[in-house]
Amino acid sequence: MFVRSLDWVLLATVVGLVAYGLWAIEGITRYDVEGDRNYFVVRQALFAAIGSIGLLVALVIDPERYRRHARALFATAVGLLLLVIVVGEATRGSRRWIELGSMFRFQPSEFGKVLVVLFLAAFLASRGRRLSQGRTVAAAVGLGFVPVLLVFVQPDFGTAIVYLAVLGATLFFAGVRWAHLGVLAALAVIGGGSLLWGLPSVGVHVLKPYQEDRILSWRNPGHDPSGSSYNVDQSIVAVGSGGVRGKGVEGATQTNLDYLPEHATDFVFASLAEQRGFVGASALLLLYLLLLWRGIRIVSTAPNAFSAIVAGGIVFALLTQIFINVGMTMGIAPVTGIPLPFVSVGGSSMISNLVAVGLLEAIHVRGRLARRH
Amino acid sequence: MAVTTRERPRARARPRPQPGVLAPGAVRWRPPPELSLRIAILAGIVLVAFAALFLRLWALQVLSEAQYADAARNNQLRTLRVPAPRGPIVDRNGRVLVTNTVGSSVQVWPSDLPDGREARRFLLRRLARVVGVPAADIERALAEHTGGPATPVTIKYDAPRDVVTFLSERQTEFPGVVVARSYVRSYPHGSLAAHVLGHVGEVTRRQLERRPDLRAGDEAGQGGIEAAYDAFLRGRPGAARLRVDSLGRARSQLFVAAQPHPGHALRLTLDLELQRAAEHAVDYGIELARGSDCIGCWSSNAGAVVALDPRTGEVLALASRPTYQPRIFAGRVRPRALAAAGLTADHAPEANFPAVNRATAGLYPPGSTFKPVTALAALHEGLLGYADSLPCTPIYKRFQQEFKNWDPYVYTAMTLPTALAASCDTFFYELGYRFYKLPPDRGSPLQEWARRLGFGERTGIDIGSEEAGLLPTPAWRKESFDTELDRAWKPGDSIQLAIGQKDLLVTPLQMTRFYALIANGGRLVTPHVAADVEQPRRNGAEPSVLRRFLPPAPRTVGVDPNALAIVRDGLVLATHESFGTSTAVFGAYPVQIAGKTGTAEKAVDGVLQDQSWWCGYAPADARPTIVVCAVIENGGHGGTAAAPAAMKVFEAYFGHPAPPFVPRETD
Repeated sequence: MFVRSLDWVLLATVVGLVAYGLWAIEGITRYDVEGDRNYFVVRQALFAAIGSIGLLVALVIDPERYRRHARALFATAVGLLLLVIVVGEATRGSRRWIELGSMFRFQPSEFGKVLVVLFLAAFLASRGRRLSQGRTVAAAVGLGFVPVLLVFVQPDFGTAIVYLAVLGATLFFAGVRWAHLGVLAALAVIGGGSLLWGLPSVGVHVLKPYQEDRILSWRNPGHDPSGSSYNVDQSIVAVGSGGVRGKGVEGATQTNLDYLPEHATDFVFASLAEQRGFVGASALLLLYLLLLWRGIRIVSTAPNAFSAIVAGGIVFALLTQIFINVGMTMGIAPVTGIPLPFVSVGGSSMISNLVAVGLLEAIHVRGRLARRH
Repeated sequence: MAVTTRERPRARARPRPQPGVLAPGAVRWRPPPELSLRIAILAGIVLVAFAALFLRLWALQVLSEAQYADAARNNQLRTLRVPAPRGPIVDRNGRVLVTNTVGSSVQVWPSDLPDGREARRFLLRRLARVVGVPAADIERALAEHTGGPATPVTIKYDAPRDVVTFLSERQTEFPGVVVARSYVRSYPHGSLAAHVLGHVGEVTRRQLERRPDLRAGDEAGQGGIEAAYDAFLRGRPGAARLRVDSLGRARSQLFVAAQPHPGHALRLTLDLELQRAAEHAVDYGIELARGSDCIGCWSSNAGAVVALDPRTGEVLALASRPTYQPRIFAGRVRPRALAAAGLTADHAPEANFPAVNRATAGLYPPGSTFKPVTALAALHEGLLGYADSLPCTPIYKRFQQEFKNWDPYVYTAMTLPTALAASCDTFFYELGYRFYKLPPDRGSPLQEWARRLGFGERTGIDIGSEEAGLLPTPAWRKESFDTELDRAWKPGDSIQLAIGQKDLLVTPLQMTRFYALIANGGRLVTPHVAADVEQPRRNGAEPSVLRRFLPPAPRTVGVDPNALAIVRDGLVLATHESFGTSTAVFGAYPVQIAGKTGTAEKAVDGVLQDQSWWCGYAPADARPTIVVCAVIENGGHGGTAAAPAAMKVFEAYFGHPAPPFVPRETD
């Protein structure tokens, strides 16, 4: 009964995405580690295996349990994000990882995403009618901003945006009044604008200079080929030169000669597009579309408000990550370092995304069973 | 038991909490109608976002594939300039004056150097040790480089083979360091004709502005023939491509995309042997001057000799002393070597300005060599009849002023040829006075004739760095001076001008051109050094002429042939009669040489010193084929230094040694 209630299309889509991602990574990282062409694929497969276990665990746990322990989840998320600031390893100027031995490291902000969705959903679902009050909304926003700020100071601007998207999505699906949503949207626009243009013009730089440059540079790629727009320029060249059929693994000069920076992580989509062309890149986008469609379906079939908010938050978080990551490689979204779900090399992202899919499945199963009764 | 049995059914009866259903007591949740709307909005956002991604992907990969494929290809291809060997310069008989040596040069590409300041310094220090160039020199070369970070800076030309091998084997340890083939100018005859040839160096800002074919960092001719005919000599660089990764490290062999076109050979009108003789002649004249007892002559160290073909204006020899070794400019230029050779602005005075081409840019009062100009002008203006005699005396008095003749013992009447031969000053003072006495509406005919005969203007020689000289006129005086006394043109100005003294300044080349006019029957030639451009000799085949340089045709200036004949008579007498000023030097030579001495007073550091001149031509009894002018700075009398120096050129030209002579102090 339980097994038959699973969303098999979603599951097949995710299996397809992971498999496609592994295949893509095999080609993209073939020349990255001298003497071991499979170094990254093996690691990534291992993470996918761990993530699958996580998916199954998330599937069997009744989401209601999270609701009851929402505060503990929130405390965990905030605690991990604080911990990474204290003991985290700085890489290129930001503290995002906690080292686990010499082989692995752990990125709390990836797992934090799922925890924050669960907490915010629980908080909002339990407020019911009081949701229409401005005070409740303000409280939710205030709580949601704690992890956003903690991620922001790492600094990890991209993930902070994903956290903001999660906050917005949970408010949206919890049923916050349109007027309040409008006010929040306006505040977000004003806040973003002052962060990027307003405050820097009076000499206050909240963002690091390179962050400002990157975000502003996507508006006019090519304006500084050797500086802030270099990555985007090279990425666009990689995507464009892939053409319809792709240049193959051997012919992908942008990837193999290191013109494309971070080609296994942040710019993995550009590498894929260079090697596999429009056909290969479109296939990945279609898989994502399928994933999001099934996700939206789960929002509508959720058994209760809490589940609906959780599903909505997860779907919107995935959408945000996919759009920003894929968009930045083609110059239509700002350059911020966030991984491409199920494809980018990185264990924390792979595992947390699979766990999130497990949550979606858990909601789906329970929604279906509830309707049968 | 009862408790349990009662409880069990109750427990069963109570609906088992279904997963996902709200806690007991809560009403089963139904999505509010608004949720469907919000879900629809989410679906809309997803569709719009994916539509944007797909459209962008389509635009990049399908519509613009070719453009970005090109960009990706160019990304990895670095185009290097393959230098073209510069064309050789040969003399009129095809003997090589300048050629190239092929070597390996070590270049640094600033854009590929390590980013960090420390890493960069470490690399440059290591490189300095390997190539044996001080690290400070490398840093300065990089700092002074004007070509942008994507063009190479050559830090060492002609690197030894072991250095080349060492660097080639350790390319990964020296990012941004490349070994390239290079051509360096070489001068088989040392300093010979240095002033004519010029040198090659990095392009100047001005050249970049005027010549679109040049790029920053290129080499180009600087001065002399190298600059004037740079376009023919430089050739066209080729291109080679190299695949590099994002750090600029080579990932492939060099492949040549365009072959370089070597520069063409340039044939000059100079004669190697005559040039050598002319340079020895200046040295010889200087030596004679130093051995004589005139004031300041012991320190004489400068002079010039010019030899022209009077029929065409071809420069056969052009020598200037002091000189320098042009190879100082070849390859990497060491400032210290430049300074030691007197080629920097700071050090030029102590070496007496060796970079100045005294033949074309040295300004001297001409002294008596100017007298034929006065004679021609006076004959044409009717100030002197063809057979008129004038007294030659030790002193000429006008306006309470005394003008001395160089010969204090002469009392005789002279016709023009005799006066030229004996170089009688008072004869010409009188002519100068007659010019002064002309009514103002006649203008300044002496100066006008001098201008027609080529003074006060550049000759137009094709090697640049030429001076126009100074032809003093009443108007010039008025403009150039402040006080009323200085602004007035006085009798002394005309009287002194008649013997080529006071303010008049000429270059040796101008004077040579004027004597060429006397020799060729009244035509003013344009001196030139380049004869033609040739495809260099290959496999013993004769070189083929690509382009012949034809200078402007000699210009007739309207000199009366009879007047010219009288002057020529005087110049023959000057080298053959007992009273001739350079008979001691030229009188016994088997080829008839005609010419005029000059002893020009010039204030050097406040002391009047004699500049020794001689100008003349040969054969004087046939159609002259060579005209020679010699100037020895601070060389004393014309007959003691310049005339014997000029004789050396005639000796080399005609192949007859001159009989020994006893120097005589004459004008």
